[in-house]
Amino acid sequence: MTHLTLEELVALREPGLEPGLASAREHLTACPLCQSEAARLDQRSARLRALPSLRPARDRWSAISGVVTAERRRRHLWWTAAAGAAMAAGMLVVVAARHSDRQRDRELLAIDSVRARSTQLEHLIQSYNPDARVTDGTTALVAGQLEDRIAQVDQQLERTEVTEPMRDGELLQLWRQRVGLLNALVDVHLTRASQVGF
Amino acid sequence: MWLPLQLYGCFQHLWGTMGNAILLAEADVVLARARAGDLDALEKVYRAYEVPVYNLARRICRTAEDAEDVLQETFYEVCRSIRQYRGEGSLWGWVRTIAASKALMRLRRNRYREADELNEELQPPTGMRVDGSLRMDLEAALERLPETSRAVVWLHDVEGYTHEEIAGLMGKTVSFSKSQLARAHLRLRRWLGEEAAET
Repeated sequence: MTHLTLEELVALREPGLEPGLASAREHLTACPLCQSEAARLDQRSARLRALPSLRPARDRWSAISGVVTAERRRRHLWWTAAAGAAMAAGMLVVVAARHSDRQRDRELLAIDSVRARSTQLEHLIQSYNPDARVTDGTTALVAGQLEDRIAQVDQQLERTEVTEPMRDGELLQLWRQRVGLLNALVDVHLTRASQVGF
Repeated sequence: MWLPLQLYGCFQHLWGTMGNAILLAEADVVLARARAGDLDALEKVYRAYEVPVYNLARRICRTAEDAEDVLQETFYEVCRSIRQYRGEGSLWGWVRTIAASKALMRLRRNRYREADELNEELQPPTGMRVDGSLRMDLEAALERLPETSRAVVWLHDVEGYTHEEIAGLMGKTVSFSKSQLARAHLRLRRWLGEEAAET
């Protein structure tokens, strides 16, 4: 009669029985020798569990808490440094923002001033009333070119107000360009006027 | 047979550490404080599980020094990671898995196994008898098992881990765990003088 191996007896203790072990289970039920071997196996496991608890010779808590405390201190220092760096970065942003605000204020003031100059020059040209005066061909050509360029700048300014907002610096440039062109137009008309003795 | 065996594994810890066990009534409070990083609460957790963790480590590792290192590494990990413990399963189960993992890691690192395999056929020490000094004999026989076999038999028969869990912890197959368990029992049976005549 072939009895069960220890490997089979160990496998029979498992909760999910493999199909191949069904015949082993049947043998175990019928064989007193294998039953006593299985009982010895269980007793051995029980005796293993009953072995006395072993205790550490030294208390390790002080070492563990020391490492934990040191790590926390390091983490705290890191966070303090990180918070300091973040604060410094924040202050830089505030300073930069203030600087940027001041720059913007200056640009807005400059735009107002250039606009006012532009209006002044337009009044000057209107008061001169060039349409009512006799003009030579060259003067008319130059004045016409200047007026065309002013019209282009005006179109850009109009787009800026309606659909394509622009940075203050760029707007200022545009207004300065307009004032420059108006100045040139005034010069053209005044030069012609001086030539004809007005 | 299986169920009582498992239950025994669960309760053994409570009985074994009754002196330092955390009372159920205050367990939630202690755990909440420990998760908040309170060192006093963490020490209570340490005191409650110090002995079972050391015992598990000592049964798996070769030396007492290694077991103490595993104890320290385990609770250092517990202190660092206790916020990640979600309360799924018992706290002891969570701590024990960390301990088992650390102990097995140390086994792999120290590569004791090769040396053990060389001594596989060593005869049991003289003076081993199945008598009044049985516990010491079993202790000595357990001590003489190869590292891997001893770890498997301890994790399976005493701690109540399944072969699937052991395979996961060791990074091996379920079959490996089963065969190691059978080999461990073969050797224990021989060394303890329990071999049956016809089996």
